[in-house]
Amino acid sequence: MINRILTMFAEAKDLITKRLRNDDTYIEIAYIDSLCDESKISEAIFVPFSRNQKPFQEIVEFSSEFKPVHEMTEWTSSLLRGYVLVHINGKYYSYDASRNIRIETQTTQVESSIQGPQLALTEDLKDGLNLIRNRYPEPSLAVEERTLGTVSKTRIAILFDNRKVNSKVLKNVQKKLLEINSDMLHSAGEVVRELVGNRKQLFPTTLISERPDRISNSIAQGKIVILMHGSMFGIILPVTFFDLMNSMDDQYEGFWMSRTLLIMRYFSVLLTVTLPAMYISIVSYNPELFRVQLAFSIAGSRSAVPYPSFIEVLVMLFMIEMLVEASVRLPRYIGSTGTTVGGLILGQAAQQAGLVSSIMIIVTSVVAITNFVIPNNAMAFAIRFLKYPLILLAVFYGITGVCIGMFIYFVYLSSIRSFGVPYFRLHGKLTRSAEGDLGQVSST
Amino acid sequence: MRRLISLVLFTLMFGIILGGCGFKDIDKRFFVVAAGIDESGNPNKPFRVTLRLAVTSPKIEPGAGKSQIETIEAKTIAEGVRELKAYVDKELDFGHCKIFMLGEKLARTEMTQALNWMTRRRDIQMIANVSIGKPSAEAILQIQPKTERYPGNTLFLSFGKEGTDSSYTLSEYVFGLRKRLTEKGIDPVLPIIVSERDTYRISQVGLFNKKKLVTTLKPEETQLYNQITKTYLKSSLGGNVEDDPYVLTVGKIRSNYNIKNGPQGKPVVQMIIRINGLLEEAPKMVFEKDWTPIEQELGRQYSKAVVQLLKKFQRYGVDPVGFGIRYRATHYSGGDKTWQDWQRMYPNIDFDVQTHVTIEGTGLIK
Repeated sequence: MINRILTMFAEAKDLITKRLRNDDTYIEIAYIDSLCDESKISEAIFVPFSRNQKPFQEIVEFSSEFKPVHEMTEWTSSLLRGYVLVHINGKYYSYDASRNIRIETQTTQVESSIQGPQLALTEDLKDGLNLIRNRYPEPSLAVEERTLGTVSKTRIAILFDNRKVNSKVLKNVQKKLLEINSDMLHSAGEVVRELVGNRKQLFPTTLISERPDRISNSIAQGKIVILMHGSMFGIILPVTFFDLMNSMDDQYEGFWMSRTLLIMRYFSVLLTVTLPAMYISIVSYNPELFRVQLAFSIAGSRSAVPYPSFIEVLVMLFMIEMLVEASVRLPRYIGSTGTTVGGLILGQAAQQAGLVSSIMIIVTSVVAITNFVIPNNAMAFAIRFLKYPLILLAVFYGITGVCIGMFIYFVYLSSIRSFGVPYFRLHGKLTRSAEGDLGQVSST
Repeated sequence: MRRLISLVLFTLMFGIILGGCGFKDIDKRFFVVAAGIDESGNPNKPFRVTLRLAVTSPKIEPGAGKSQIETIEAKTIAEGVRELKAYVDKELDFGHCKIFMLGEKLARTEMTQALNWMTRRRDIQMIANVSIGKPSAEAILQIQPKTERYPGNTLFLSFGKEGTDSSYTLSEYVFGLRKRLTEKGIDPVLPIIVSERDTYRISQVGLFNKKKLVTTLKPEETQLYNQITKTYLKSSLGGNVEDDPYVLTVGKIRSNYNIKNGPQGKPVVQMIIRINGLLEEAPKMVFEKDWTPIEQELGRQYSKAVVQLLKKFQRYGVDPVGFGIRYRATHYSGGDKTWQDWQRMYPNIDFDVQTHVTIEGTGLIK
């Protein structure tokens, strides 16, 4: 066996092969030590073998941890996953001794909640399944496992509630997973991109979440969840626009304020998308829309600005986008310096130097802050983009352009399907008119 | 798909041309805050157009509102405004012009042309206030009140709903004036602004027939007119009962009227006015008294004043309350006949006004 393995692999120092003999048995073992936990191996193989209190072959045959390997083709893949191959009396067994380096089970970081569960998924698939099984103890929970990526061979698990899942959507997802033809897959985002197919889609049609409570809730709603080994994010699909605007705290906190916050969230989306465009179109086309006082003070503060309003807007938006981008990339220790320099000093100085008007500073900060309100990162990214086409329309057509732009956005949103489910469908009880009908338009 | 995209882009590119010269930054516009139209006396150039332009500044503080006055004489108003553009460095914008003033002389001769211009021009808002400037619109516009935070604010606040709500001030919008000017059975009324050194007094109204100013009302009559045409007007009502002066601050006032045929077949306008209010001035110990006679006496005196006012309208042949339009609405008898009937009836119609005053309290806590 060892000779064959050695021919299969490139010369690798961490590929360990051993021939062992005790009183009555001769075994060959092979493993990649960088992938394995040595203590596990010695505990399960070396110690019992050298003591030889029981014939080693019996141990191997009785223990469920040693799995028989029938095909030679499986050798490499199991070695590469951190298994130990054991050859004993003409039979081959594999033993899982894999050692995964991962962050320990930890608190949520991307989707934090104030009083909700603080536990996040981990990068280990098994732990993830454990977390979800614990939160969804139903026999109907189905778990399908497969690997993705011809080289990376990333293990994924597809979870859904057998009774609640929409079979059409499930088939659609399974088909799309089979079609994925990519070498390396490491993050949930890549899988989503491959699944959706259309790389130029503006809005996210899947929800990437790190919260086990959110995932189990989605399973209960009949959604499908894809967990990935090596990524602490699960993919929930299909989703609607309104799912992406929901934060888990909306379900955990008091009724009135959480609903009010929800309304404000939609309002802030509207603001962040339209405000720069509206600023241009009101300032440059229809100043009569302001109150007199505001119109005069804007005119006064703008009189020092040498460029037309849209240049002003673009300068400020460029600055704020760079600021946001920089503070994401910067290490946490310098991060606050970046915001101070950018936000306070630049904003103040730009206004005093007469590059932008003081109202524009307010507009810019409102745009940035309202964008942060969106609970889902992918959604926030999509919405961050939306304002730019509107600015273009505002420059050329004023308020009419902004209205038409918004109309186009709504039409586009309504035309999107997330795995066959209308993306812009409002919440509410569905009335089924026929069997298998979800009150929705099918994608095909 | 690619063809579709290029088609859309192509259309958009053509659309860019359509945007045209609409793009004009706010700081490149000269906001007109008030416009005055006078008669110049020159037969070749009968109109004198005066514009009050706001000089904007980023600081807004009392007394900081500066403005620039431009005057021009022209054959027509539109030509005058166009010619004025050559006098200033920025584009004139009427978007914030909330005050339009007609000179008294112009109002007494002809006002339809000015209104015509106001309603047609795109950037003039129909919610702008129209008024009469006395002695002339230009004289009023030259006044620069010392406390103004931004140019034009004093006049905006006087006419708007958020500043003073004096019961002597009437505000009339462009659309309202146009309605009153074109509708049969209701005649225009405009407030008169009188200059008082550095500030304005707006306590009178001018009555119009369909063409020009006919007469003006005294301040007390103006308040009466406001009271019978509006509800919830903060105003006052005074009178003497047994030589004691009483003043009632009116919290609520409602008036209803019907046009009926009287006992002798003579048409009568029956008006019922209900006033609720608190006593603001009264003799001592009024709480102990029986209020009913006081209420009745105040009501009687008030009715008398209202009848006098309505008779005055009748005498001048104007109908600012809109009895005619009510009659047309309630006595339809086909075609133009109702209107002709009303025109025949109005000069001799009788007025029967009843006022029910309710005193809600003495204004004191016992």
